[in-house]
Amino acid sequence: MAQPSRLMANPCAAFEEDLVLMHYGDLSGTELNALQAHVPSCSGCSAYLEELGKLLPLTVKTDEPSQDFWTHYNRELRTKLDDAGAKKSWGEKISELLQVRWVPVFATAAVIALALTFTIGKGIWPSKDNSPEDEAFMEMLPVAENLDFFKSMDVLDDLDLLEFLGNQSNNNA
Amino acid sequence: MKSGDEELVALAQKGDRRAFEELVDRHKQKAYHIAFDFARDREEAKDLSQDAFLKAFMNLKKFDGRSGFYTWFYRILVNVCLDYKRRQKRAPSDEFDETAMKQVEPSHQPAAPIAPDQHVWVGQFSRKVDHALAALPAKQRTAFILKNHQGLSIREIAAMMETAEGTVKVHLHRAVTTLRRSLAEFA
Repeated sequence: MAQPSRLMANPCAAFEEDLVLMHYGDLSGTELNALQAHVPSCSGCSAYLEELGKLLPLTVKTDEPSQDFWTHYNRELRTKLDDAGAKKSWGEKISELLQVRWVPVFATAAVIALALTFTIGKGIWPSKDNSPEDEAFMEMLPVAENLDFFKSMDVLDDLDLLEFLGNQSNNNA
Repeated sequence: MKSGDEELVALAQKGDRRAFEELVDRHKQKAYHIAFDFARDREEAKDLSQDAFLKAFMNLKKFDGRSGFYTWFYRILVNVCLDYKRRQKRAPSDEFDETAMKQVEPSHQPAAPIAPDQHVWVGQFSRKVDHALAALPAKQRTAFILKNHQGLSIREIAAMMETAEGTVKVHLHRAVTTLRRSLAEFA
């Protein structure tokens, strides 16, 4: 492995970025032509280009694992994919239930269930809080309230009758 | 007949596990090497590349084919690697320690036998490069690794980083400038 002999060359500031691209072979057209004309006559730029050529490949750290590594890699990844697949299927089931197209179905079902609960349930499930005596009293209460009302009405009728009789006697006199 | 990535993706999206495993087989080596460039450690690189495949598997239905599978997957991989570096920076025990680093043997083997004095130099240089790369801002490190280590084109890097080609060139130039300064002592 060659050691870089000298670092920190001083390229022309205007060409520095393009020199990096030129090193990687990513320069074309007029920029490439301009540099190809400039570099041979500029010691700073040519030294910089040479330095990049020596330094940058040294920064690459290579690793070539054995076949055993890849066998183990495949086995391990397959297990992880199995686990992820199991989690994914549960997640998919839940998210499928929460999809927008199911919302009207759930809403309708909820409304029907509530309606049935209040209509049928009223007759089926007696109130556990009230005793039979209380239930009878509760049924009688509106009737009693009506009786009071009718009594009041009778008094008013009596008053009207008295007034009528008073007026009639005055007329006779 | 060998199917293209897009065909395999379409099958995998319909739940074909074999199709996804075929995609893994095609891309695992490159994915591993990119992860290794970020982590500089074999075990970490294995975990990171596998995590990227898992994320791709979990989000396969979100892949709409606007970019190629290759670009989409490597974008996931780069994000996984950058997240790992961010977590590593936050953990105090993972801060750069010269003494500790000297005890860590690089996980790769040199391609050819080298002399003992050169071995020392290579070890020091390698540790310095690790440190210098880790110190680069995330975008500069990504652009540099994908260009210098993986040899991707500026256009491919821009697609993976979801940025303009001009921005990638700026990141690359800044990364090279910083690395040169960091490694000046080896002159």
